[in-house]
Amino acid sequence: MAKHRFDSATRIYQLMQILLLTSAACCSAQAADTGDPRELIRAAMQHWRGVTSYSEMTMTIHRPDWQRSFSMQAWTEGDKQSLVRVTEPRRDAGNGTLVKDKSMWTYSPKINRILKVPASMMNQSWMGSDFSNKDISKSTDIIDQYDHRLVSSETRDGHLVYTIESIPHEDAAVVWGREIVVIRDDYIMLKQQFWDQDNLLVKEMNTTSIEFMDNRHIAARMRMYQLETPEEWTELSVDAIDFDIDVAESLFTLSNLRNPRQ
Amino acid sequence: MSVFQSQARVVLTLSWRNLWRNSRRTGIMLGAIAVGVWAMIFMTALMRGMVDDMLNQGIRNLPGHIQVQHPAFLDDPSVVNSIAEPDSEFRASLDRLGAVRWSTRIKVPAVIASERETRGINLIGIEPAAEDDISGLPALMDTGRFLESDQDQGLIVGARLAERLETRLGKRVVIMSQDPANNIRERGFRIVGIYRAKLPELEEFNVYAARDTLQQLLHIEGRVSQIIVVGDDYRDIEPLYQRLRQLLPATLEARAWYQIDSYLAAMFKMMDGFVLVWIIIIFLALSFGLVNTLVMAIFERVREIGLILALGMRPGLIVYQILLESLLLLLIGLAIGNGIAYASIKPLQGGLDISAVAEGMAMMGASSVLYPKLLAADMILANVVVIVLGIVTSILPAWRAARLDPLRALNAT
Repeated sequence: MAKHRFDSATRIYQLMQILLLTSAACCSAQAADTGDPRELIRAAMQHWRGVTSYSEMTMTIHRPDWQRSFSMQAWTEGDKQSLVRVTEPRRDAGNGTLVKDKSMWTYSPKINRILKVPASMMNQSWMGSDFSNKDISKSTDIIDQYDHRLVSSETRDGHLVYTIESIPHEDAAVVWGREIVVIRDDYIMLKQQFWDQDNLLVKEMNTTSIEFMDNRHIAARMRMYQLETPEEWTELSVDAIDFDIDVAESLFTLSNLRNPRQ
Repeated sequence: MSVFQSQARVVLTLSWRNLWRNSRRTGIMLGAIAVGVWAMIFMTALMRGMVDDMLNQGIRNLPGHIQVQHPAFLDDPSVVNSIAEPDSEFRASLDRLGAVRWSTRIKVPAVIASERETRGINLIGIEPAAEDDISGLPALMDTGRFLESDQDQGLIVGARLAERLETRLGKRVVIMSQDPANNIRERGFRIVGIYRAKLPELEEFNVYAARDTLQQLLHIEGRVSQIIVVGDDYRDIEPLYQRLRQLLPATLEARAWYQIDSYLAAMFKMMDGFVLVWIIIIFLALSFGLVNTLVMAIFERVREIGLILALGMRPGLIVYQILLESLLLLLIGLAIGNGIAYASIKPLQGGLDISAVAEGMAMMGASSVLYPKLLAADMILANVVVIVLGIVTSILPAWRAARLDPLRALNAT
C-alpha cells in the first residue's frame, strides 16, 4: 500500500511534467514560425522557465471493474521544481511529492517519513495506472536525447498543428523506438504516442479538452491508455489553475514537504 | 615344502571346490557383490562428477577463486563501497602473484527496462578479455556477440531475462542505477549478445556491460567493485591466497571461494565423508547376503565339517578355510564389479544428459549434463571396504563352524 502511494507521487510528478509541457501560453510562438521541430519542443519547454503556477487537479484511474479518483494540489516553478499534495480521498490525503531537478522525495503522513525515491522505484507503475515513467518524466531530456523531425503541419481550428517524430539517441535512457508528438502552435500537446522498437504503437496520450483558464489556453483534460487495453485508462484533469503566483523560498523544501505551510 | 604350505594348499583347494559346489548360489552371490561394487563405484563417480561440477559452476558464478573488495562491500554491495583500480605498482605485483588470471569488475544493483517490463538486476562491468578464465561467459553466448573491449557500448543479457522483458537481440533497453552521491544514473544500451547460463536463474539476474562504460555511467571513473583472482586449481588455493593477503593494503579485504560461499565449502569438505558413508551403506545391504550365503554353506555341510574335525583338522584351519572361501567369493565379485563399473563409466565420460530432471538439478546448483568422475582413490576405497568388512562379517559363521562338536556334527541329520 505504502509503495503504491509512493509511486503515486512519481506518477504525479510526471503528470506535472505533462502539464508543464502541454498547458500552454497566450503569446509568443517564434519557434513555431520557423517549424524547426527541435526548436518547437525547446520553446514549448522554455516557455515555462520561471513561470510559477498553482493548480488543483483530479486524477482518475479507470479499469473495467473499478475506478478511482484523487484530488491534488500542485505548485510548480519552471520545469525543475514542483510540489504535489493529495487532498482527497482522505486516506491518501497528505501524501506529498517534491521534485527538484532530477531528485525526488515523497512524504507519507502515515509513516511520518520523507523518502528519497531511488532509481529502482522510478520505473514502477502506480496501482496499474497507465502513466509509465520514462516517457515524459524528464522534461528537458526530451530535447537533447532525441532526434526530432517534423513530419507534417496542418491547420486545425485556426491553429497550426505540428506532428513531430522523435527518435531517441542510441544511449538515451528511453525504451521507445520512437515517439510522436502532436503539438499546437501555442504549445499545447494534443497527442503523444509511444512506439516500440518493432514499430508497434504501445500507448498513447490524448488531450481531450482544451480550456481557457487564467488568461491562457491549457490542456485541461488528458487521457493515457495502452493500445492493448483501451478500456483501461488514466485521466488527468485540471480543475483550476493560477499562473505567476508568489512562491515563497520555503515552498520547495523538504521541511515544507513534511509540514505544509501554505 | 613346509607343513604350513601344504596345509594352506589343501585348504585353498577345499575352499575353491566348496565355492563351486553350489554354483548357482555362488553365482547369485557373485552377482550381488558385483552389482553392489558397481553401485558403489558408479554412483560415487556420478556424485563426484556432480559435486565437482557444482563447485566449478559455483566458483565461476562467484566468480573467481579469490575476490578482493572493500570490507563493507559484502554487507552492502552498492556503488559507494568501491575500491580504486589497481595502480601500476599494484598491477605489477598482482601479475607476479602466480595466478592464472586476475581482473577487475564492477557489480552494482540496477534496474533494466524495456518497453513493456522493468526488472531488478545485477549489473556487472567486466574486462571482456579476462572473462574466459573467470566466469566462462564467452562460452555461454547463445546469439549475438560477446563484448569486445573495455569500452564496448553493448549489453549482454540472459536468454530468460530477454524473454521476461519481451525484448531480444539488437533492441535497446534502459539501465538505471545510482552513482555514489545517490543520483540516478541511466542510459540506453543495445543488446548485442544473449547468453544461456547452465543455471537458468542466473540468466535473469546477471547483466554484463563493459567496465569502462559502466564507470562512466555510474560516475566512478578509476574505481571498481572487486578484483577477481583465479588460480590453477580451486582445491589448492591456499598458498596463492596467503601471498595475495600479504600484498594487500589493510583497506582491502580478500576472500577465498570457500569463505565467500560456505555452502560450496561445506560441499567440498563433506564429499569424502559422504563417499565413505555411501559405500558402507551399500556394503551393509550386501553383507546380509554374504553372511547368509556363508551360513547356508556351513549348515549344508555340518556333517562334513564334523568328519574333518574328527579326522584331526584343527578348528583354526576350518576358520581359515571358510574365510578363504569368503575372500575368494569377494575377490571374484570385486573383479567383476570393478570391471562393470569401469566399463559403464568410460563411455559416459563425455557427459550424461539428465535434462529430464534438469530443473531439480538446477535447484541444487548443478547443470543438466553429468560428467562422471572416476577417482582411483574412490575405487580403492570401495574395494578395501568390501574386502575388510567382508572378511569381518565372515568371521562369525567361520567361528561357529570351527566350534562344532565333531560327535554331534557327525550325527546331525
